[in-house]
Amino acid sequence: MRRLVRILDGNIFALSEENGDMVFGPVNPSGLFAFDTRFLSTWRLTLDGEELHPLAVHDPSYFEIRFFLVPGHPTHYVDAKTSVIRERWISDSSFTERLTVLNHTGEPVEHVLRIDVDSDFAPIYNVVWPQASQLRGYREVSDGRLRLGYRRERFHRVTDVRTSEPGHVDERGLTFRVRLDRQGKWSTMLQVKSLVLRPDGRDVREPLGQSPSQGAARSRRPAGEHGDQLHHDLRRWLAAAPRLSCDWTPLTTTYQRGLADLAGLRFSSLALPGETMPAAGLPWSATLIGRDSLLTSYQALPFVPELAATTLRLIALFQGSVLDDYRDEEPGKMLNEIRYGEMAAFEERPQSPYYGGADVTPLFVVLLDEYERWTGDAALVRDLEDAARAALHWIDEYGDLRGDGYLWYQPRNERSGAKNHCWKDSPEAICYPDGRLPGLPRATCELQGYVYDAKRRGARLARELWSDPAYADRLEREAEDLKQRFNRDFWIRDGGYFALALGPDGDQVDALASNMGHLLWSGIVADAKAEAVTAHLLGPRLFSGWGVRTLATGQVSYNPLGYHVGTVWPFDNSLIAAGLRRYGFRREAGVIAEAVIDAAQHFAGRMPESFAGYDRSLTRYPVPYPAANSPQASATGATFLLLRTLLGLEPYGEHLVVHPEIPERFGRIELLDIRGRWGRMDAIGNARPAKP
Amino acid sequence: MSEAVRDFFDGLARDGGRMLRQVRGTVRFDVAGPDGVDRWLVAIDQGRVAVSQGGMDDADTVIHTDEALFLRMAHGEVKPMSAWLRNDFTADGDFRFVIMLERLFAPPPGARHPRTVGGHRGPAGGREPW
Repeated sequence: MRRLVRILDGNIFALSEENGDMVFGPVNPSGLFAFDTRFLSTWRLTLDGEELHPLAVHDPSYFEIRFFLVPGHPTHYVDAKTSVIRERWISDSSFTERLTVLNHTGEPVEHVLRIDVDSDFAPIYNVVWPQASQLRGYREVSDGRLRLGYRRERFHRVTDVRTSEPGHVDERGLTFRVRLDRQGKWSTMLQVKSLVLRPDGRDVREPLGQSPSQGAARSRRPAGEHGDQLHHDLRRWLAAAPRLSCDWTPLTTTYQRGLADLAGLRFSSLALPGETMPAAGLPWSATLIGRDSLLTSYQALPFVPELAATTLRLIALFQGSVLDDYRDEEPGKMLNEIRYGEMAAFEERPQSPYYGGADVTPLFVVLLDEYERWTGDAALVRDLEDAARAALHWIDEYGDLRGDGYLWYQPRNERSGAKNHCWKDSPEAICYPDGRLPGLPRATCELQGYVYDAKRRGARLARELWSDPAYADRLEREAEDLKQRFNRDFWIRDGGYFALALGPDGDQVDALASNMGHLLWSGIVADAKAEAVTAHLLGPRLFSGWGVRTLATGQVSYNPLGYHVGTVWPFDNSLIAAGLRRYGFRREAGVIAEAVIDAAQHFAGRMPESFAGYDRSLTRYPVPYPAANSPQASATGATFLLLRTLLGLEPYGEHLVVHPEIPERFGRIELLDIRGRWGRMDAIGNARPAKP
Repeated sequence: MSEAVRDFFDGLARDGGRMLRQVRGTVRFDVAGPDGVDRWLVAIDQGRVAVSQGGMDDADTVIHTDEALFLRMAHGEVKPMSAWLRNDFTADGDFRFVIMLERLFAPPPGARHPRTVGGHRGPAGGREPW
């Protein structure tokens, strides 16, 4: 996807060209987006009919940007007699642009400034996966403002454009005839509101406590002081997180970048308007995606524990309660994704919400337990008791498709649903070494690890917080039984590793893949097998030098640029490193942490979603996968979990245990003011000098 | 007064929906029919559901719908969340109860248990734990 300039606040964002223009074209993703809809597809500025060119672009934070523009082509820059400053920001759910025209001559001048405005009201899905779009809807001019609207039955989206200085408004835009004194300047403020209207003319969000004019609590601010509240919020967010210092700069850079990115990823849901939780990725996945929100909250727990509380409560609200084939919904199942756009509304896509993920439900229980271990927030665990029990029940009743005690998936929506209901959800991700794809249903190995972990953690919650020791005993028995069978049925004796999955007849899908690293994280691996698994993860077929590949080399489907069949994913690696640490392979965990953080420094500390699986010795540079989202939440979260792993942070009752094992390159790591049930604690670790 | 709407709420009062124990709040349904608007108040406390009819009671969430759509949602034929996204009904107040509406209504007719898809053995018939 093309690189565009952008600003955003939660799930409203604007993408444009380098001069600030949004230009409509069949595959151009620029525009103003909110509520999974494009509200502006054309926003083009001209001065006396001429396009403007950027001299500089300055984006001091994720929600504001300034363009310094001059008319004409680059060769004319030296004698520009006029310049335009275009400042824009997003807050209070609206997009505001201040245009300032400057006359640099000693004579008065006149100019015609024009903004072309239009919209195709495209569903975001059609922008991410480009298809022919056309301008549509109606246009109205009244009271000096322009209103673009799109209706389908009672569904109604409106873009409302106003200006602070009077201008001529027509159905295609706004024109200003500007007279400037010598060395003078002129300025106007344009405000664009995205409205999601009901038949009675009110915005749907307003009667639900999230008014577009007031916005969520965190973005409320006096008019005209653009971004002050957001600046304040960002400062407070950064100040509340533990402070890190490290002798190796890439770690601190990546940590600071990660905190700021996590701040930008937060959004508040209609259901919990005063709270924020992480969206899956920006800009295209600015929504609740169960797996990503849960994993990111898990990774970030030691640093920003409140994200987990909101995530858990919101996901529980959406918990499935009926059988619904189109949405792959079952009672007790946790959602994969929710969207609010036209395609979800008219059931052209199943995200209303969609439940096609078998991993989300056990991961919910994993995060609930881990959250309580860190924070001591027993009230939330009691509040979500029924949801957690229903989740555990779902595993056995609806996930165990073959009745053999494993968690399987088989999509019921084969037309518009995901093919694979695990994190590697692309169609070819689950394969045999010779490239064949197994039939359905499939039971990928990491799902079994998540179930094992969920049952063990559910047992702890049942015993300690729900006063149900009988249920706890049962869950523990089931978990132990699962571990026994799993280590027998998934283990490939000749290869010394775990099969990627079981196929429909219970046969081993024996590809060598990163998934088994998650098994260490979940604790399902029998101790005697951990060393062989570790040798594979750090061996030349899986470890590229920048991290563990999703699929090992030497197999037919392996492709260093294959989304789930060869690339290296930082989030995947962070769970693998945590797993290695859990089994005592601390040095190996450090190798992965160092490799991944080393890679991030090539991207100014912003952890990419994934990079190519080429051998490090071949490229010497981590080639990023051309992902649509940046930042990606769970990639951002990887830094935090890797840091936790290096310092060996583990809650133990009311205490935080710190047990560092730090590669020499990091030198000394200090992490101060780690919040938790212990109050605040510091963790300090020194690298162990490398052996000569 | 629609008999079909009354039947639904009588059934809901009897069977209680599928609310979680931790849910507490009130939802008022303003159901517009040929003879005007019928108002039904559903009070949820510890997952238990009580139904009363008539007043303009305050509620955490008020659902405005016509009778035909209401009945289709109540019978599981229309997904409440998609209907809300289309503005086929409107909601004032707490959005959480819009998300949980499905828990008050019948499941979609004809939906399959995942085990019955692809010839796996039939549902174990286990009771839901709530």
